[in-house]
Amino acid sequence: MLVLFADTDMDLTKKEAKELGYKLISMPYSIGNDLIYPYESWDEFKAHEFYEQLRGGTLPKTSSISEEKYVEYFEPEFKKGNDIFYVHFSRNMSGTFDAMDKAVEKLKEKYPERKFYEVDTLGISILGYVIAKEIADLFKNGKTVEEVLEWAKKEVKHYACYFFADDLKFFKQSGRVSNLAGTMGTLLGIRPIIYMNDEGKMLNIGKEKGRFRAVEKLVGYFEELSVDPKEHRIILASADNDELVQEMKDKLEEKYGKGLKIETTTVNPTIGAHCGPDTVGLAFYAKHR
Amino acid sequence: MNTLKLNGALFADMIRCGAKNLAEKKEIVNELNVFPVPDGDTGDNMSLTINSAASSEDIDDPVSLAKTSDAVMRAVLLGARGNSGVILSRIFAGLAKGLEGKVEANLQEFDNAMKMAVSEAYSAVAKPVEGTILTVIRDGVNSAHKEMTSETTFEDYFEFLAREMKRSVDRTPELLPSLKEAGVVDSGGVGLLYIFEGMQFAFDGEKVDADFLKTRKNEFEELDISLFTEDSELEFGYCTEFLLRLQNKKTNISEFSVDDFTNYLKSVGDSVVCFKDGSVVKAHVHTKNPGEVLNHCQQLGEFLKLKIENMSLQHNNSVIRNTYSVQNIAPRKKYGIVTVANGKGVVDTFKELGCDVVIPGGQSMNPSTSDFVDAFNQINAETIFVFPNNKNIIMTAEQASEATEKDIRVIKTKTIGEGYSAISMFDTNAEDINTLIDELNGIVSGVVTGQVSQASRDTKMDGLDIKQGDFLGFSDGRILVDKKERKDIIPELAEKLGAENFDICILFYGENVGENEAKEMEKILKEKYNRLEFYLLDGGQPIYDYILILE
Repeated sequence: MLVLFADTDMDLTKKEAKELGYKLISMPYSIGNDLIYPYESWDEFKAHEFYEQLRGGTLPKTSSISEEKYVEYFEPEFKKGNDIFYVHFSRNMSGTFDAMDKAVEKLKEKYPERKFYEVDTLGISILGYVIAKEIADLFKNGKTVEEVLEWAKKEVKHYACYFFADDLKFFKQSGRVSNLAGTMGTLLGIRPIIYMNDEGKMLNIGKEKGRFRAVEKLVGYFEELSVDPKEHRIILASADNDELVQEMKDKLEEKYGKGLKIETTTVNPTIGAHCGPDTVGLAFYAKHR
Repeated sequence: MNTLKLNGALFADMIRCGAKNLAEKKEIVNELNVFPVPDGDTGDNMSLTINSAASSEDIDDPVSLAKTSDAVMRAVLLGARGNSGVILSRIFAGLAKGLEGKVEANLQEFDNAMKMAVSEAYSAVAKPVEGTILTVIRDGVNSAHKEMTSETTFEDYFEFLAREMKRSVDRTPELLPSLKEAGVVDSGGVGLLYIFEGMQFAFDGEKVDADFLKTRKNEFEELDISLFTEDSELEFGYCTEFLLRLQNKKTNISEFSVDDFTNYLKSVGDSVVCFKDGSVVKAHVHTKNPGEVLNHCQQLGEFLKLKIENMSLQHNNSVIRNTYSVQNIAPRKKYGIVTVANGKGVVDTFKELGCDVVIPGGQSMNPSTSDFVDAFNQINAETIFVFPNNKNIIMTAEQASEATEKDIRVIKTKTIGEGYSAISMFDTNAEDINTLIDELNGIVSGVVTGQVSQASRDTKMDGLDIKQGDFLGFSDGRILVDKKERKDIIPELAEKLGAENFDICILFYGENVGENEAKEMEKILKEKYNRLEFYLLDGGQPIYDYILILE
């Protein structure tokens, strides 16, 4: 049997993962000395509570999981004679995949018959989310492993993600967007616009004054890049800012009418620790990233 | 002391004092290496070179200057390491040739010998490059020679020498583009300066035990751990140095910004020196929390080399002297920004936005042309943008731009609001300067600034009958609101400026306004304009009680 894995860095909740047929690998964050594993340390993500804590000045840190932890996730499946198909967040965003590679290598020696497949979504948060959802659909529709891998090779780079951050101190701490312009010390209403490139890295591509103009800018990217907008999932998400997600939804519907397949979700806490509260973004099917 | 004759004993002391001064500061010299490679550092090389003479017993000839200088020459020629060490050894070789046969030397003779030192140093290099140790020694000697008179003592002569060498060191980036690119002064020049600076200490009777220099190599033995006890306070923090290899899996190396990284280091410490060569970052910072720095860095890569020292142990009992301090010149960047503002909060806001220089001034005190030129000289950038923020300052800025060789562009901002708005959206990565200027002008035209001040006399204007002491709200040269009470101004001014059509409101309150009143204004505006993003800042500016910026 084939067992699907995904990880919590791609915004999947425990419930969604179950519905889609994924087992979840939990990517931890820490606040003070507490190391917290989403959906292991707790069952439900209380987004507002978490992001309020960040607004109050808490700066969580994230850490990558160890080789042993990966063995704990994967070995029981190999033992049972199952193969693994892991849809994961971008390798270029974390050192954790070195640990995973080592774990897989060791397990393969122990279980030479077993197969391990992976799809690098070259994304994180909603970009991983939308791709994980598509892949789950493909399997549900009876596609084979080879067909899904073929699809991923072709289509992963057709999913784009654009977002803006509200408070740069989180990204400055994490260093995950390295080209943030030096002039952005204080934001006072300026929102850096960030996207994920073909290498699965986050890059700053501009800035916009004011949250509403920033939302318009995101919608502008959608207009410029989307392909068959009514045929594909559009994921809107925020780190606890429903008002702006609604604003973005309204703007999209103003332009395209009601028939869009819009889904909304919340940025998971581990990524939230990098981007900070009130980050708003969208992921969609595009000409290119 | 007024030294008029130099003998062997004094010269030997001078060599030892010079060697000690450099030994104590060689890390500073090492930090100036343009290419951040871990070995072959200039400071180490020069220090080892001069130490070979300073720690030699042969230089202690009590009778003859010629014998001492000859011993110095032989020791440094044999001990020379690295290019800068070789040139250094040739300087002392030239000096020894000039002092040949002299039991002692008067200043005239010594000055002649120094000239020989310069030409010997130049002859050591096939193609002499200016902006290096060569330039520094030549400039120093030429200047000292010009300044000396028949009355000049050795003390004065070395003072002249060191003074010009400092200036010459500071000029090296202008002569050598690679230094300018990297934002450093020439390391060899600084090393030489430290030696000559140290040599002066011998005139004060300072003696250096030659053993001190011999044991320099074993850094650990030097540590006097009694200087930091169970009850000591961490006063100086840790001198933290490292070589960091940026890693692809952790960061986007080509996009790595040395500026951002330097700013980060400055936020956790001081004495920051930071360079990048390829994927290797070399950094030096004094911080009380090295752990935080290391954690941050490990998110970007892995360390190639690390050194952390408690600076309380470095501040050992050696005399603290006022010696040359290396300025951390900012690396050359594409764009620099100069603006004009008053009030601590307003100035800080501009600095946080990335302004290189904020010239103090504004309505009551207009800066001069030379204030601008001084500001331009502090910035190492291809193009410098000026935001005057006052229509009475624009012409001065334009005049200043003609008084310098640098490429200066004046964006004619007439208010703090215009300046703030434009600078906050400044695209430091912009390729095309004309597009950038158009963008900035576009931003300026989209911002509205309202200001509040008190009437200085009775007048009739804009249909209003204004009495002295009235509070006035005005914008773009027109008085829009006239009230007896200051707190009544802001709500009406915001309305007249059409606040409902904007997304962002920034309100700087001035030095005359209390925080409570300002918060009251914030509350009123927030309630009335709920789509407006509101930022209240303690600007501390004089004259204008409020500056209301709508974007």
